[in-house]
Amino acid sequence: MNIEGKKIIWKEYQKEIAEDDYFYVRSCVRQSFFPGSETTFLRILRETLGKNITEHPFHTTCTGIGYHSDIVPYETTMTVIARQFALMTESGYHNYVPSCITSFGMYLEVLETWHHFPEVEKKVRELLKKATGKEFEKPDNLVHASDIIYKFRKEIAEKSKFRLINRFTGEPLRIVEHIGCHYAKMFPSKGIGGAEYPHVLVGLIEEWGGEVIDYPERRHCCGFGFRQYIVKANRGYSIACSQKKFESMKPYRPEAILTNCPGCPFFFDRWQYAISEMENVTYGEDGQGIPVLTYEELAGMVLGNDPWDLGLQTHQVPVEPLLDKIGIPYDPEKKYLGKNGEYIGKPAIAANLKFCH
Amino acid sequence: MGRLYDLLNQDIRFNEGLKACINCGTCTAICPAAEFYNYDPRILATTLQSRDEEQIETLLKSDFIWYCGECMSCKTRCPRGNVPGTLISVVRSLSQDLGYFAESEKGRQQLALKRTIGEWILNTGYCLYPKEIELESHPEQGPVWGWITENLKEVLGRFDAHYNEEGPGIFRKIPQESLDELKRIFDVTGGTERFEKLEEFSRLKAEEMGKEFSPGQKSDYYLHVYNFNNNKHGKDEH
Amino acid sequence: MMEKKVAIIGGGVAGLEAASSLAAFGIEVTLIEKEDQLGGHVGQWDRLFPSRRPAKEITGYLTEKLSEKVSILTSTEVKKIERSGNAWNILLNNSRIIVADALLLATGFDLFEARKKEEYGYGIYDNVITSADLEKKFALEGKIRNAQGKVPERVGFVHCVGSRDEKVGNLYCSRVCCVTAVKQAVEVSEMITGCEVFCFYMDLRMFGLDFEALYKEAQEKWGVHFIRGRLSEAFENQDGSVLVKVEDTLAGRPLKMKVDLLVLMSGMVISSGTKELVDLLGLETDENRFLQPADRQLKANETGIPGLFLAGTCTSPKSIDETIADARAACIRIMAYLNQSAVSSQ
Repeated sequence: MNIEGKKIIWKEYQKEIAEDDYFYVRSCVRQSFFPGSETTFLRILRETLGKNITEHPFHTTCTGIGYHSDIVPYETTMTVIARQFALMTESGYHNYVPSCITSFGMYLEVLETWHHFPEVEKKVRELLKKATGKEFEKPDNLVHASDIIYKFRKEIAEKSKFRLINRFTGEPLRIVEHIGCHYAKMFPSKGIGGAEYPHVLVGLIEEWGGEVIDYPERRHCCGFGFRQYIVKANRGYSIACSQKKFESMKPYRPEAILTNCPGCPFFFDRWQYAISEMENVTYGEDGQGIPVLTYEELAGMVLGNDPWDLGLQTHQVPVEPLLDKIGIPYDPEKKYLGKNGEYIGKPAIAANLKFCH
Repeated sequence: MGRLYDLLNQDIRFNEGLKACINCGTCTAICPAAEFYNYDPRILATTLQSRDEEQIETLLKSDFIWYCGECMSCKTRCPRGNVPGTLISVVRSLSQDLGYFAESEKGRQQLALKRTIGEWILNTGYCLYPKEIELESHPEQGPVWGWITENLKEVLGRFDAHYNEEGPGIFRKIPQESLDELKRIFDVTGGTERFEKLEEFSRLKAEEMGKEFSPGQKSDYYLHVYNFNNNKHGKDEH
Repeated sequence: MMEKKVAIIGGGVAGLEAASSLAAFGIEVTLIEKEDQLGGHVGQWDRLFPSRRPAKEITGYLTEKLSEKVSILTSTEVKKIERSGNAWNILLNNSRIIVADALLLATGFDLFEARKKEEYGYGIYDNVITSADLEKKFALEGKIRNAQGKVPERVGFVHCVGSRDEKVGNLYCSRVCCVTAVKQAVEVSEMITGCEVFCFYMDLRMFGLDFEALYKEAQEKWGVHFIRGRLSEAFENQDGSVLVKVEDTLAGRPLKMKVDLLVLMSGMVISSGTKELVDLLGLETDENRFLQPADRQLKANETGIPGLFLAGTCTSPKSIDETIADARAACIRIMAYLNQSAVSSQ
């Protein structure tokens, strides 16, 4: 494989990312399954990078999951999105940053629709006014939260305490990267690196000392499929997609999976557990599975945050083996403590997946 | 041109999604749903392109249009600029508005989506709400999820959450005023009407099938649409 | 008739044929070619469809025909072109100025840069090559090995790379790639006994008289497999083989396959030389970015500018016989033009 060929492509797909003053909107899925991630993102932006980032307490879901489950009509989603923009305008901000990739794709699709059909934008403004009395301006800059971490990856590297290197072997960690489908597949020019060879996560891994592993099914969807997971009868599709990716990456022996979408790491984490239960097959080394990380978690790790402040205890596939490899210290006793340090019980032990208790 | 084709044309996304298909199959080659399900996005595009009223009606009433996972991998590749993933959104919208969704096993599941995602959006302002995702109906979540949901306030509290409280933070309580605004948006944009149709057409279908129908997630009909799979959706089954 | 001078920019098939045809009528011709050799793309090829005659037969014939009336300037580029009355003043990169009564552009095509079709991985995966790369292997090496030095057991040909594709901005068909793919499929089968060859196509454009027979030979004699599906993606396996994803549209099933060598049939695009002339002369191009003649059916070799003529693939993709015919047609228009001005100047 000739990496120079990829570098040419990466150069061709760059985009403008605002410097500061971000309006942040949260992800329903991220909050549910990896609650530490968004807190970490805000902490890194404010404390490590000294940026101004705000969130409005009245912001809601963008309804993206509802739209892609096809229960929410397009006009409804467009108007809810208009309301979110109105909150941004009311707060005096112009740079919009969603935490969710489905949202990101949704915002781009809506802005693109308004660009091609100004009469639709006009109608949505009327509907928003009618329903809420609000008015909005479109953002000057709209990027995904991972784009911002990408933009400041060098600054993060400078302040980092750890590198993505296996301290026992001295080798860079072998990391597979997975981009959420709605990041670049719909509008390749709006994704760093484009749709075929996205660079937003590659850049992070390489800047922080790791080695990026490519494999045949890299671009394959993780299998969320919205209705294909949410409705139990359809879940076979979802697990099949993830399994296809695990089987494809297996020969390349990745030590971690890095993603930028809220849903994807959830599926990679949970489906590894489910496959271990159903078929007694585990991926990764020694029956422990391949740890799945988000870009916020990885950034927090290299910066030396406490793993339990990052929310790594909410993963089903244990992250401790990776922490050990990097040399990030952690206190196993504190893993399952509650918000005030009180003991709140422990999860049950999985049958086949070697879980760190 | 037929009535159904005219209705499809009224959706602005239809012309964005269907320019003209040359049956090259690039979309199907890369489609995850085409790998596992008896689905083919190329056939979706050519069927719609045929403008054949009968074929389109059959399509709207079949399982076929419910297999797509809307990943949009097709959009990256089509040499003619078609987007089968967007066309799926268009036909699913029409299928629901006309009640045709209730004629297929996969289509009937839309009720489950409305009563989970749909109701969570209006009741909480979030698409997902952890308390609602029970381990029992989601065993793949694993023991960690069991521990999280049992101790939600303490776990989220670890990350400076304002769980269920006012102010910014993880799963803050979204004020009623904002939820009212959301509801009014649904009312004026056809969202509420869509939800009502899903309920009504499902109720009629439940009656026809002789299954008990009531709100929530415990009725016979609901559990049937949520769980039932006739195992004939795979690549080689018909 | 006073001795007339014609300058031809481009020393490929069209330029060579026009040069000798005009010289045969007593015209003084200057042939300007930016490479150090004449023959254009055909000079780089091994054997030509459909008969598989050696390319050297064509380039040899065309260059041998050039009489002393043709002044050949290789390794020469055009810097500036100006009109002065009825004459063209052409400034070359060696500071020489050529004065001509008529100017013929025969600047040909470039091959589509296959790396722009990112999902096929040209320039990234070692065993993904173009049809031109393969042709060079035939011409210079006389054998085919993959990047690992192995004899390929399975070779795939991908039709329509850079053609009929909105994603790369080329909606048109490049005309000759289908028959070239079939030719190369036959040649690979001839060279490697037992090699499985696959052609992934959308349509098979066998428009020439003997093309269908070549297709039939590929199937009957060599067992080449034709799969009707546009390639969606290629990826490199650990052993260097290439994994491809396509739909067999006739069977209605997606399929994945491993090949040892993947050959991309790169289409034709406007050449960089032509692009420079568009700027220098203010020429019209169409939405496919080829040069736009005054009328594609009735005045295919003329531009709106008197004394400026077009020949060959700079106006549209063509096969060699079509290019030669087109070059000869251009000569007739040039002769008519030169006679006219001879008459009017008396």
